[in-house]
Parts: sequence; structure tokens; C-alpha cells
Amino acid sequence: MKGRAARSGLILGAALALLAAAVPSAGQNQAPPAAFGSGLRYEIWVELDATGKMLAGKEEIVWTNSTKDTVRDMLLHLYWNAFKNEDSIFFKEEAGESLFGRGAGPEEGEWGWIDVTDIRMADGTDLKPSFEYVLPDGPGTAGDQTVARVVFPVPVEPGESAHLRIEFRSKIPRTVARSGYYRNSFFLGQWYPKPGVYEEGKGWNCHAYHLNSEFFADFADFVVHITVPRGFVVGSSGKAADSRTDESAGTTTTTFRQAMVHDFAWMADPRYLRIERDFVASKEVTPQEYEEAAKLLGLTADEVRLPDVKMILLIAPEHKGQIDRHFRALRAAIKYYGLWYGPYPYETVTMVDPPFRTQSGGMEYPTLFTAGTRVLTSPHELEPEGVIVHEFGHGYWYGLTATNEFEAAWLDEGFNTYSTGLVLAKAYGPGAIPFVFKGIPLDWFLRVPKVFDFETNRVAAIHTVRFDPVTAWSWKFYNRGSYAANVYMRAATLLGTLEGWLGEPAWPRIMRTYHMRYRFGHPTEADFIGVVNEIAGKDLTWFFRELVGGTKPFDYGVSGLASVEIPVHSLGVFDADGSRREWTAKTIEEARAAAGSGTGGAPPPMYRTTFVLNRYGDARLGGDAKVEALIRFKDGSTETRAWDGQDRWIRMEIVKPVPAVSVQIDPRGIWLIDENLANNSRGTNGLRLNASKLMTQFLFTVQLILHFFGSWS
Amino acid sequence: MGVFKAILNGIGTTARKPRITVILYAANLVFALLVALPVLALIQAELGHSLLGTSVRPVDLMWIGEAVLKHGESLAAIVAGFAGAGLAYFVLQIFLYGGTVGRIIDREGPARLGAFAGDSGRYFWRFVRLFLISVVFLALTLGAIMGLVSAIFEPLSKAAVTEWVPLILSNAHFLIALLLLSIVHMVIDYTRIAVVADEERRVLKALRHALTFLKTRFFRAWSIYLLIVAATVAGSVIFYVLLGRLAAPTVAAAVAAFLWMQAYVFFRVWIRTLFVAAQSEYYRAHPY
Repeated sequence: MKGRAARSGLILGAALALLAAAVPSAGQNQAPPAAFGSGLRYEIWVELDATGKMLAGKEEIVWTNSTKDTVRDMLLHLYWNAFKNEDSIFFKEEAGESLFGRGAGPEEGEWGWIDVTDIRMADGTDLKPSFEYVLPDGPGTAGDQTVARVVFPVPVEPGESAHLRIEFRSKIPRTVARSGYYRNSFFLGQWYPKPGVYEEGKGWNCHAYHLNSEFFADFADFVVHITVPRGFVVGSSGKAADSRTDESAGTTTTTFRQAMVHDFAWMADPRYLRIERDFVASKEVTPQEYEEAAKLLGLTADEVRLPDVKMILLIAPEHKGQIDRHFRALRAAIKYYGLWYGPYPYETVTMVDPPFRTQSGGMEYPTLFTAGTRVLTSPHELEPEGVIVHEFGHGYWYGLTATNEFEAAWLDEGFNTYSTGLVLAKAYGPGAIPFVFKGIPLDWFLRVPKVFDFETNRVAAIHTVRFDPVTAWSWKFYNRGSYAANVYMRAATLLGTLEGWLGEPAWPRIMRTYHMRYRFGHPTEADFIGVVNEIAGKDLTWFFRELVGGTKPFDYGVSGLASVEIPVHSLGVFDADGSRREWTAKTIEEARAAAGSGTGGAPPPMYRTTFVLNRYGDARLGGDAKVEALIRFKDGSTETRAWDGQDRWIRMEIVKPVPAVSVQIDPRGIWLIDENLANNSRGTNGLRLNASKLMTQFLFTVQLILHFFGSWS
Repeated sequence: MGVFKAILNGIGTTARKPRITVILYAANLVFALLVALPVLALIQAELGHSLLGTSVRPVDLMWIGEAVLKHGESLAAIVAGFAGAGLAYFVLQIFLYGGTVGRIIDREGPARLGAFAGDSGRYFWRFVRLFLISVVFLALTLGAIMGLVSAIFEPLSKAAVTEWVPLILSNAHFLIALLLLSIVHMVIDYTRIAVVADEERRVLKALRHALTFLKTRFFRAWSIYLLIVAATVAGSVIFYVLLGRLAAPTVAAAVAAFLWMQAYVFFRVWIRTLFVAAQSEYYRAHPY
């Protein structure tokens, strides 16, 4: 984005300065503070049996009915039952993935499950008789046990609370989908019974655990008491309140608390290093940066000021040399997400270097995320930086704007992939493509190309547009590849396109307003479109309908350019002044010579420049969006033309005393989603330096490959 | 004869008979042009008239991505074409190897095209048979030894507590495979030399000659091989370092880069003749 922004920045500069006053400032609808008092409260006591790979837990849930409905039951997620057997939806969908599967399932003794051994109301009323597994995603999912239902003995009226006490016992899986163990290392996500989200008038939104889906839950206040064998290092969502060791049992219990989060994950490993550092806002952000951000967003400097944050890193000893690298990336993420979208509202953020072979890397949970690195890394690759920025960023896009990851995954993954690219570009520039052979970065030996995230995102985007709309539900994509490419990369490319089109200050204000307005809420696509239309001051619904919710490729191009000198007279027979005369090439030339012998010399030749703009893709522009064409002429002058892009093509003509040298559409590089940038321009001469270099390089590569083949003869 | 003497004599031989390298290089260039032509035409068609042609980078993901999208249907044909061409080039190289070894073994003889082609034809079928035997030899050697290595390494890797163990074992596994490969390659090289130097029609007998020859002087022979490999690596490093300095966006730099690339290909072809020349010197200096 950095490069594109720079290109368009100069051109847009003056216009934006004028527009800035007209664009509404970013909303500061400050959401609730991060204090206890949510409509949902958990207190959980959990003990890890590291030898038997088991969890034993007790859980108290207080759920308040904040809707106008009378609620008669509760649906609970029991996610780990996805790893119980091959009849779970998770493994059934996994079996259907030929190309993008997660790999082999658990082996003998490695399956995981969760049993609710007791569930009752706080007054002791046993709910177990009504306990049943349900199939919220249809009868085709029979056999799945990831969602359970209990019926309240007395319906919960609006404003009333239900207080449940649950006991559960879980077998920790040998890691599947980022939860589980390897030897004595544990990463535990989605490990406790968790209610779905009750939606007024609709009932419980509580989907089964699907292969491609992530999660959706209500904001809650958590108090979690974690007991592990003495000597284990524990990292968790929230803030450690106190810790005590039971010498006789050989265990340590730590209590963690966190308000206003919608999930809680933790890890335990006896080998891990725990390092704490502070994000000190006054050191990380200069007054000038605050000023610039405030001006861009139309806010005061105080409104964009960032708080200090306690950063906690749990890292494997073999990655000790990368501690600074981890913290640098996290500081950049806290800074830029904070400046652009809103201050990070929690006291702590815990960054976990995923334990070896737990496959738990690259995952977000509120106030905790897993990164991922290798023992051998290159300083030019943005690994682990990319994953750190991305997973921290989910603290915003998923953690704070808690969109439904089952039904609208792009609202967190797409937004966050887009934001990750911006932060990486700002803090690091492009990163080397991580080519790794046998764990060794090839960047150590070869000059590996560097790319920005938006480049790789676009490649995926243009290849997957025909498969699915970005807005499909997570498990309804063509396959896992289409899910990932559409939800992450195509969505990010589309947001990048909107950024290019709407520019500053509208775009940053849209993102800030959307985030702050829906912080601690569950926004939908409609909410985002509403903010876009409000801040942009025009209806952009067509963009979301045509490009986000559609499967039509977007490709406008130029198919022809010709500049022809206009003769002083046309060929043929003409009647004039009562006589008839035939104009031939010879007579025209004579007329031109005669005109030139006069006192003023020959009139300058005129050129007719014609060019054709095409709509090659099926997607069309809408609203006030136009295809902008820039025509460059031999004398350095330029002309621009606009086309609404509705028809398949348009031929345009310009008459000037100078021939054209090129015509280019989208000269500001706005339409990143255009799947063919090569056809966006056409010049009159036919050999380009870089294209020639590309050809010689390709020839050289073929020579070396052939030589390699030949050396085995 | 010592290791360095063999290599120096080999260098002398290739210097006296530069035509061999020139023939091999010319074959490579002409063949590569034929293979690359469709893609070169495609690049020109895509970027020759587009302003993108002035900004496209050597590895430009954005353009490669859209080119693959546009020509995806032809991709299978292009890959099949490359594979077929690779196979054809492989056969051509077996043919040319006869000329290379023949002209190098014939110290005083000319390295003219006619003589080169004559030797290529004379030894072609013997070298084809030798190649087939080498495949079996390679499969047996690598299969047996690498199978054994894997059987030792895998339990260690599975029981690892940190990623260092699988990383080291995986690289050790790869290194062992490479060294084994170099040994097999060297054995086949000496077999080819034996075929030509001893005018041996039966390649199995030539293989036995080579193995007998290597039995008593294996490490010195292997040193020659590995030193030439080291020279190739050193030359490659120099090439890539200097190539990086020819990246200026000017026509002169582009032409210089192209010439430098061709010089590197020539170097690699020359290294190949050096293998034959140095090993031939060593073989002939130690009659068994």
C-alpha cells in the first residue's frame, strides 16, 4: 500500500486538502470501558493433568437476557467434541478437502473430547435431563456433538439472569486446529463450555465447529483459576491476579481476570521463558505523529492519544535470540492499530511463541495471541513480524469489533489482512518472500525478491473471484483454498481498492469510525456499508454488491491506440462552388505544398488519436465511479477522459497537433482488484526495457535448467 | 598424479580445446532459445506495448499472477513442452558427452566439429546403456543407504523436544544424499572415461574398471570432484554478486547483465568439460 499511496498521494494532495474540511471526522463513540459488568460472567476453575492429558473444570456462568425475548433454553459450544471422532462435522469436512486439508487426523489415543459431567442452575436444579446435542447447521451434520442444548426450568425473562454451574472433563487432543498438546507442551483454546450469542428475535446463534470456521461469542467478564503441575510456565488471556503453590499436591494455581472479552485461551509449558516489557506510548509515538493522526481523522490530539500496555512474551528457549524482534513487531502493531483505529483498551497483551509441534501458531484470542517463528530466520523476511502484527490486529478486528466469524469471516480476516499489510509496509517496508529449504532461509544465499502484502493478496484475489463471494458463510466456500483466498486476501484487496478510491481523509475516517462505533459490539456488513456511505457522502452499496458479494471478475483495459495525421483534404470527388473536383494523393500533396509556400508557412499537421477502452470483466462500475483514461502526447502534454464503464467498449477520439504516445486507464492505480493491469495501458512503440530484461532473464533461467538436466546424462 | 595437478592439467586441456566448450555452449543456447521462444513471445505480447513493461520487476508477483490467470489453460501445455524439451536436451547431452570425452581423451587430436560429432555418434549407444545402468546403480545405492539413514534418523526426529533436532537431522540427511550422489556421479564419469580411453564396448566391464580404479584412490578422486564443485559454487557466488550490480534501469546495464549471464552459462558449461578433463588426466596417469 505504501507504494500505491505514494503514487496517488501527489496527485490527490491538493484535492484532498480541499476535501478534508467537507469529510465528517472519525466518530469517537467511545465504547464501554474495559471494566467488569458485562451481561455475561464466567468463573472457571480448571486443572491440567499433564500426564494423562486431561482437563478437569468447574464453571459458573451468569447470563443476562438483555433482549426483549423470553428465553427458554441455552445453546452451548462444546468445541473439543469436534476432535472426538470422524463423525464430527470438522472431520467430515476435512475428509472432503483433497487439496487444502489440515493433514492427518489424530492417531490412536490422541482424540480429544469434552464431557459435561454436571450442569445445573445455581439453586441446584439439575439441567442434565434436558441436556442434548443439537445440530444447528442442519440434519446433514448428524453425529456432531459440538453444540449442546439445555432447557431452563423457568424461562428467562428480559432483564433477568440465568446462573449455571457446570462441571466438565476433557481429553486434550494431540493438537488439532491449534488446540492440544505435544509431549509436555499445551495450548488450550476453545476448551470450556461456552454459550452461543442470543440474538433478539432470532434465538441462539451457535453454529457447530466447522473446518473453516472460527468463532463467535458474547463479551463477558472472566475470572479463571488455572492449576498446573508446579514448574509449568502459564500464559493466558487477561491479567494474572494472584498465584499460589500447593506443595503437597505439587501444583500451582494462578488466577487470571479480564473484563469485556469474548474468549479465554491459555498455554502451559515447563520449558518456556516469560518476558515482560512495556509499551510506553510517550516513547513510541511522537507529538508530530499524534498531530498528524488527529488531523487526518478530524479528532483532537487527546482523542488519538495511546495508553501504555504491558506486553508479555512467552517464548521457547531456542528462540531466545528473537525476543527483541518479537517485541519490536508488537510495539509497531500496538502503535499503528492504536493510532489508526483506536487505543488498545486492555492493560495487557500476551504473545505466545507456539510450543513446538502443537501447531498452535498464528491464532488470535482476546488479549492473547500465538505468533510463530523458526530457529533459523532471515532479517529480510517478515517472519515472525507478519504473524505478530496480524494476530495482534485481530485484537481489533475480532477482539473488539466482534463480528460473526461463522457467517461473515471477511469482516475480521479481510479487515485484519488489509490492516496487517498497512502496518508492515509502514514499519518495515516490503519483506523477502520466505523461501525456506530444510529449515534454512534461502535468503541467506540468494537475492530473494521482496514484496508488499497487497501484491500477494491481489494475486490470490484475482484467482479466486470466480469461486465464491467474499461474503459466503465460512463452511460454504468451494474449498478451504477459496475460503482463505477470498476471506483474507480478496477482501483485503477490495478494502485496498476502496482506500485508493476514497483516499484521505475519508478512508481513514471510515475505518476509525466503524471500529470505534462498533467496539465491544457485533457489527455486520450492513453496519460497515452504513459507515462507508455516511463518511464518503455517497452510496457505495453497488461496490459491495458487485465486488464483495459477487463472483464477477473486474477487468477494464485498453485495446487500441492510433494517432494518424489528418490530411489537408479528404480523398474523393467533391462538389464546391458549382464545380466538381476529384482530390487524389497527388493533388492533396500539392495543396499542402502550396499552403506551405505562403507567408505563414504550412499549418501544423493535425493528428487524430483514437483509442478503445474495454470492459473485459463481467463486473461493472457503479455510482459515480468512472474509468479514468490518461492520454500522453509526444510533446509531453496530457489529456484525460472518463467513461462510465457500463458497455463492453467505447471508442474515443482526440484531435490535436501532436500524436499520442500512450493511453492509460486508472493512472492513479486505484483499482487494485483489476485482474489484468498489463492491459490497462498501451503505447505506440513496442519494446520496453524491463520487459526485455525479463525476457533475457527467462532465457538465462531456461539455459540453467537445461544445463541442470543435462548434467545428469 | 596429485589432485591439484590433475585439475591444472584438466584446465590446460580445456584451454587447448576451447571448441568443445563452445560447441556445448552453442547447443545450450540454441536449444534454450527454441524452448523459451513461446514464453518470450508471450512476454512481448503482454508487455511490449504496455506501460507495465517499463516497470515490471524480474520477479513481479503481480504480473506473474495475472499472466498465470490469463494463460492458465496453456500452462499444462507449456509445462509439458518444457518437460519434453528437457528430455530431448537430456538425450542430446548424452550424445554430446561422447564428443566431449572422446575429444578430451584424444589429447593430440583435433576438437573440430566433425571429429566431435564422430565421437558423439560412436559412443552414443554405449553412453545410453551406461545411463540406464547408472539409474539402477543410483537407485540401489541411494535407496539402500538413504533408507538406512532414514531408519536411524526418523525415531530421533519423532522424539525431538525442540525443532533443532529435526532441522539438523533433515539437513544431515540431505547432505548425505548429496555426497552419495556425487560419488555415484563420479563413478559414472570414470566409467565413461574408461569406455573411451579403453575403447571398451561393454559398459559393465568399464564400470568394473572404474570401480577397480577408484577402489585404491577413492578419496583423491573424490577430492578432485569436490574441488571442482567448490569452484562452481565460488564462481556462482561471484556471478550473483556482480549481477546484482548490473540492475540499473539503463539499456547499457541490461546489455551488460545479459552478457554476464551468458558468461556464467559458458562458465558452467566449461566446468562440465573440466570435470571430464581433470578426471581423464587422473585416470590416465594411474593405469591399473
